Amino acid sequence: MSATHHHHEEQDFLFKYIFSQDHKMISKQFLITGFLMGFIGMVMSTLFRLQLGFPGESFWAIDFFLGSWAENGVMAPDKYLALVTMHGTIMVFFLLTAGLSGTFSNLLIPLQIGARDMASGFLNMLSYWFFFVSTIIMLISLGVEGGAASAGWTIYPPLSALPQAIPGSGLGMTLWLISMAIFIASSLLGSLNYIVTILNLRTKGMTMTRLPLTIWAFLVTAILGVLSFPVLLSAALLLIFDRSFGTSFYLSDIYIGGQVLEHSGGSPILFEHLFWFLGHPEVYIVLLPALGITSEIVSTMSRKPIFGYRAMVTSILAIAFLSVIVWGHHMFVTGMNPFLGAVFTFTTLLIAIPSAVKVFNYITTLWKGNIIFSPAMLFSIGLVSTFISGGVTGLILGDSALDINIHDTYFVVGHFHIVMGLSAIFGMFAGVYHWFPKMFGRMMNNTIGFFHFWITIVCAYGVFFPMHFLGLAGVPRRYYTNSEFPLFDNMLDINELITWFAIVAAFAQLLFVFNFFYSALRGPRASQNPWRANSLEWTAPVEHIHGNWPGEIPEVHRWAYDYSKVDENGDYVNGEDFISQVVPLGPNEKDGGH
Amino acid sequence: MVALVAIVAVLLIVISAVQTLKIAELWAINKGKVIYEVTKKQNKTQALLMLVFLVAYFAFFAWQVWKWGDLMLPVSASEHGVVTDKLLNITYAFIIPVFIITHIFLFWFAYKYAHNPNRKAVFFSHSNKLELVWTIIPSIALTVLILFGLSSWNEIMTPVDSEKEHVLIEVQAQQFSWNARYAGNDGKLGRAGVEFIEGINAMGIDINDKNAKDDKVVRGEIHLPVGVPVQFVFRSIDVIHSAYMPHFRAQMNCVPGVKTQFNFVPTITTKEMKKITNNKDFNYILLCNKICGAAHYNMQMDIIVESKEDYEKWLAEQKQFAEN
Amino acid sequence: MTSITLENNDYKKEIKQKTAKPLLWIGLMSIVMFFAGLTSAVIVSKGTAVWETIQIPSAFAISTVFILLSSLTFYIGERSLKNNQLTKGKLFILATLLLGLLFTVTQYIAWTDLYKNGVVWAGSESSATGSYFYALTALHLLHLLGGLISLLVVNIKSIKEKYNTENLLGVQLSSTYWHFLTALWVYLYLFLIFIA
Repeated sequence: MSATHHHHEEQDFLFKYIFSQDHKMISKQFLITGFLMGFIGMVMSTLFRLQLGFPGESFWAIDFFLGSWAENGVMAPDKYLALVTMHGTIMVFFLLTAGLSGTFSNLLIPLQIGARDMASGFLNMLSYWFFFVSTIIMLISLGVEGGAASAGWTIYPPLSALPQAIPGSGLGMTLWLISMAIFIASSLLGSLNYIVTILNLRTKGMTMTRLPLTIWAFLVTAILGVLSFPVLLSAALLLIFDRSFGTSFYLSDIYIGGQVLEHSGGSPILFEHLFWFLGHPEVYIVLLPALGITSEIVSTMSRKPIFGYRAMVTSILAIAFLSVIVWGHHMFVTGMNPFLGAVFTFTTLLIAIPSAVKVFNYITTLWKGNIIFSPAMLFSIGLVSTFISGGVTGLILGDSALDINIHDTYFVVGHFHIVMGLSAIFGMFAGVYHWFPKMFGRMMNNTIGFFHFWITIVCAYGVFFPMHFLGLAGVPRRYYTNSEFPLFDNMLDINELITWFAIVAAFAQLLFVFNFFYSALRGPRASQNPWRANSLEWTAPVEHIHGNWPGEIPEVHRWAYDYSKVDENGDYVNGEDFISQVVPLGPNEKDGGH
Repeated sequence: MVALVAIVAVLLIVISAVQTLKIAELWAINKGKVIYEVTKKQNKTQALLMLVFLVAYFAFFAWQVWKWGDLMLPVSASEHGVVTDKLLNITYAFIIPVFIITHIFLFWFAYKYAHNPNRKAVFFSHSNKLELVWTIIPSIALTVLILFGLSSWNEIMTPVDSEKEHVLIEVQAQQFSWNARYAGNDGKLGRAGVEFIEGINAMGIDINDKNAKDDKVVRGEIHLPVGVPVQFVFRSIDVIHSAYMPHFRAQMNCVPGVKTQFNFVPTITTKEMKKITNNKDFNYILLCNKICGAAHYNMQMDIIVESKEDYEKWLAEQKQFAEN
Repeated sequence: MTSITLENNDYKKEIKQKTAKPLLWIGLMSIVMFFAGLTSAVIVSKGTAVWETIQIPSAFAISTVFILLSSLTFYIGERSLKNNQLTKGKLFILATLLLGLLFTVTQYIAWTDLYKNGVVWAGSESSATGSYFYALTALHLLHLLGGLISLLVVNIKSIKEKYNTENLLGVQLSSTYWHFLTALWVYLYLFLIFIA
């Protein structure tokens, strides 16, 4: 090394914080980027809630944030659609796919399975930087001529293919597609790494049946990603061809702007098939990591083993399997073959079974536990609640005969925001509160955490529960205002109430932001195992080191859920209410909760 | 200036919050606490809040039903809608109890089993019997829902028998309006395509097709006879739209390049529905329910259901396509 | 298996030895899904869109022969390196690269033939069938480009005699990918015959 000392330090900084290949640093990068995007998505939703709650009224905030998109503080109708589209895209992909899975898969996989790092640190770094570039492109698209993509986050052609149809389908949509293509590359690189790391780099004794449920969830999530994201890429590519080169994969018989287009022979329904082949697994790509995180936290904080470990794993697998054969339930009213519709109804409703098993198992884990209400635990219980509340309405939407009348209404918006949006973000919050000491070596403040949770859950239900009623009254989604014709005049009160809840919920997140940065910089130092948990990450030192453990990687001797295990005298085995996975089994002890 | 004041204010709030927090933590450490551990008192409060939340959540649910129940869609104005509404109610009868019972268990257990240092949690890691029970019970309930759902789905999706008396209407969607055409006396719709769109012929009907001559193009509103099956054919000439008729529990996408269809039997006239809803301004409506562009929110058309006689009278007044 | 410790700090190398192949395999799985998406799109389109019949250029058949041969030479080359027959290995790996380039050339010829027969990629004269022909073959070629780059690297390294019985990972990865591309092409070729 001929570099000067100074130069050496600079290089160190660059590789430690920016182009790091260490999974712990990459996980923090994903977290911060994801949350930043999430914050932007949340501000967007608050702004269009203002429009819906108080249609046509002028607001300082709208003027401040939207500028030329909103003359005199009232947003333009097509910009409303741009906001809705970007809100959906950012939340689903950038916050809840990359932010959630990227953060916790990266942090926990090597630490919980006992590996030095990911299979390929380099690909892992690329994965983050692709993600970063895609966020930048997506943000740039907000400022281009014609505005950002405005065809809904599902970007159905022809609306997304023709700038004549809506201004956002010009440069804005091009950037959207480029950003998404890069995002898919990022997601694939991440998923490859997660799968291979879990399958190949487990420490001695870490059999598949001893893996914490988090890892199972991450594994299945990554497999779903590898199976479904390439299909979205193929759909997006064909769309790019149609838009930019004049092919006719999706377009046919179109008369717009006073002329007949020369595209012929394609079908927009094809795009819907390809899109939802990703789109539905995507729901579980978002949800499963949150469920995995919750499984871990509910067990640790109840001081009880997770109930039905094997059933939990089986239900994750069953959900994942079913999720790739249900995409048609998004298309019941596209004129699809009624027989196909019947098949999709059947497969869709089947998902209720493994989901119900998971819920019952969570509840049974609480039963006769010894529950410590850390903020992470509160969010986990909140997740179980949202998973139930949003899940049961899935039985209505998944039933093709019932879906006819509530398809694309606010009922759907309420349903998926609760079951997927809230559940996933609650899982993410739970994960951050729980593994903050592992990430930053410091603890978050509990009191602020309590306030954050209670305000959030109350307001979240206040926002999304009433939407079911709007939907049952026939209010379509993606309407700029409901007051253009008299049918929905009575709904204004509901919309206003929802908006108020949304505003409070948005401000409550500032509590979290404050807590996060305060704790990361000034919070009390963490001990090595603050939650007295069993899994392997808590045997690693608080300080982050390359390779995670000094000396040998610990060997694993038992599953991760030996909480409150007692011997025949009723005393705790090992003297405490938890037994780390590295403690060898006693002479008469059986593994795996038997 | 306002922005500057705002920034300074926010900064001051953050700084004071940091200081307060720091002091509170130092205070706690002074008293010998491990400050990040959830204290006994906090744990108790949180447990209690679980119960409070349970009650408040149910109360909120009940309040919404009470307050907004009347705003929901009135009784179905189509034959199949009555069946699907019944199916909806059966589904409610299943999911609302599940929702309530699981929530009671969830929050009650959370409250009841809050941490107590003198108690040991029960090491209860699995029970095949229990797990079997809650796999089988939902399976049975689902079988019922699926069977009922599928039988009505198949019925709804079967097109009207063309031999039977029925009304055939083609609805064409475009940004941001609806056009409709009745099949005329021959009961057949003439050929149409985007290449024929010109001037007044907004639906692109082929003037040379003999089936097209007696077709009747209407704008602004469509009329339906009560008690007669109506077969809709949907088209779109630009982007995907969706023809949503909530009062008839009917919806079908309009896809460029593809013809889709839906049928129902209207059972309640507009006049009767005005009485049922107690709203003299009531009108059935056809809405666009698939994002289709800037004015998506205002793309609708009135539907008028009337007696067969009135309907025929109205239809007779409409011009045939060839007359234009 | 040696234990991985921080002291020897070799864990990165060992991790690479252990995981490079599975990484590639799962990567291949995602490529399979990508083409599965595209080919199922073709099947869906065939059911709905106007379908035109297309004369498959004979150049596609020739390129099929080239790529099959290239897989064979790569296999022989890899085995030679494994048996430390470095010269033979070098030659066969070079032959693979050349055959790969020939494949690329014949693909180009096939496209010009298609174009001459009136099958255009886009515009008012195009049909979905023709567009799929170009799209599928071009996207395969795009993946092949990656294969050619890896072959180039393998060639340079083999000429420098970096590979031997002990050190074969790079060749193995490259050849796995190459065989995969061959299989993918055969599948696409048969598929094209089927849809035409």
